Amino acid sequence: MLGLLATLPWWAGDQYQIHLAALIAVYWILVAGLNLVVGFTGQLSIGHVGLLAIGAYAFAILAGRYEWSPWIALLASGSIGGVCGLLLGLPSLRLPGFYFAMATMAFALIVAEITLALGDLTGGGVGLAVPGFSAPFDSPAGFYLLLLGIAALITWFTWNVARFPWGRALVAIRDNPVAAESVGVPVFRMKLAVFVLSGITAGVAGALFASLQSYITPDTFVFELGLFFFVCIIIGGRSSIVGPLVGTAVLTALPELVAPLAKLGNLFYGVLLLAVVLLVPEGIGRLFEVLLARLRPERAASHVLEPDTERLAAAIRKGRDA
Amino acid sequence: MTALLAERVSKRFGGLTALDAVSLTVEPGEVHGLIGPNGSGKTTLLNLLSGFYQVDEGSVRLDAEDLSGAAVQRRARLGIARTFQKPRLLGSQTVLENAMLGGWRDRSAGLLSTALSLPRVRREQRMLRDRAAELLAGLGLGHALNRRANLLEHAEQRFLEIARALALRPRFILLDEPAGGLTGAEIERLGAVIRTLRDGGIGVLLVEHHTEFVFGISDRVTTLNLGRLLRHGTPQEVRNDPEVIRVYLGA
Repeated sequence: MLGLLATLPWWAGDQYQIHLAALIAVYWILVAGLNLVVGFTGQLSIGHVGLLAIGAYAFAILAGRYEWSPWIALLASGSIGGVCGLLLGLPSLRLPGFYFAMATMAFALIVAEITLALGDLTGGGVGLAVPGFSAPFDSPAGFYLLLLGIAALITWFTWNVARFPWGRALVAIRDNPVAAESVGVPVFRMKLAVFVLSGITAGVAGALFASLQSYITPDTFVFELGLFFFVCIIIGGRSSIVGPLVGTAVLTALPELVAPLAKLGNLFYGVLLLAVVLLVPEGIGRLFEVLLARLRPERAASHVLEPDTERLAAAIRKGRDA
Repeated sequence: MTALLAERVSKRFGGLTALDAVSLTVEPGEVHGLIGPNGSGKTTLLNLLSGFYQVDEGSVRLDAEDLSGAAVQRRARLGIARTFQKPRLLGSQTVLENAMLGGWRDRSAGLLSTALSLPRVRREQRMLRDRAAELLAGLGLGHALNRRANLLEHAEQRFLEIARALALRPRFILLDEPAGGLTGAEIERLGAVIRTLRDGGIGVLLVEHHTEFVFGISDRVTTLNLGRLLRHGTPQEVRNDPEVIRVYLGA
């Protein structure tokens, strides 16, 4: 799959399709991190566009005005995104769901105002030109491959988090925080850790996004973009990585490739979201799961619950000796 | 041997005194029954021991170590496990994953090593999985490892909660009405499980309405009424206590 995507520049119809694929990769870098927060931990952040903007402006200012190496500026953008995630998460992650969502929205709106107000630094409403990366990543195809590589790496990170015990506990925090606490899971600390991670991926995505667009203004980071990321995950489904990935790709590409949909704009997203929430509330990721489960039906097991006390005693002894 | 102690603990909610200077000791390798009418403070006491509530007066100790004010997580790390009156499972997760969660304190890998899938992370996952599978087999859930927990029957959910608590390798396990909603045959199996825990050296606090079950299985019994200690003793002593019969058991 990755191999196929890597050869895209050689079979894509035109430059525009490469640009579109690059855009999907950039969005996914952010959504992949956000997915751990929203889809796995159940913290409904709708303001990640604020972190994207911070990463983008950090990159534009450091690599553009101060002429840092784009690579160093990229790392700096990720770090700044992480620090901002920490500063946003510390006070807000203790809030109950609805208020947390409002806090992230307020954050995004504040960032938008600040980028407009700090004209000396950000160019205000006029915006900033953003430098590209050095060869071989200076061509559209080269930059696309760079983005694909970073996106693949981050997908691998989140896939690992999703399948190993530390990340499984995130799902426990989402579904039953009381049960999670009762076995010792440090709920707040883990929420914060994963939120900081999403800040880093948002910062990195912001830097790459700015470089891809080559020019940014405050209008590039409208609040709807934050909702868009959120919707990609909701449509994709909770506790899934493939679902949100498909969601991001489809929601980014479809309006661009199918002209009539583009005219509908936000209406298209609205209708799609409504359809998913009403028809498959657990998202398309769950749809895959259900179809897979159909393919290998579970045997009807006996319902007699018969403990094997000798085996239980052995398991307990083993635990005591461990 | 380390004991889990509540010493003259009190808990108030607003103007209501839910517990008034109650003391209780759970020794390792014993079943300690805790009974009393509705609203007598049984679950409140369990919550004070497990850390979901904090004491207003008195102290909770693990032998010499003062746990008053310690968070739930710290007590779990010290080996105090619990189950809930209404099973609290992760419905969308498998039976195996639910039980593995209980082993949390024995893994050390954090976010970074997990994201990089370091060998330690895989080793810890294998260790937790093996432990959970063994416990589930012992509890009679070996056939349902990969079933979603919300598809389990009620008794299976109760046993799965016990499996999760045992995956913590507890020194003490606090069971909040584990027999609730079980059939007679299932309660017998629950009894066999509880005896196995006790024989394995675990201290069991059994909060339960089903008094026959409690008297039959407990080494010692404490009765509460209106937040106060009513009687404490062997099942025989408590069962024949005129005061206990008057306010709780009935003639």
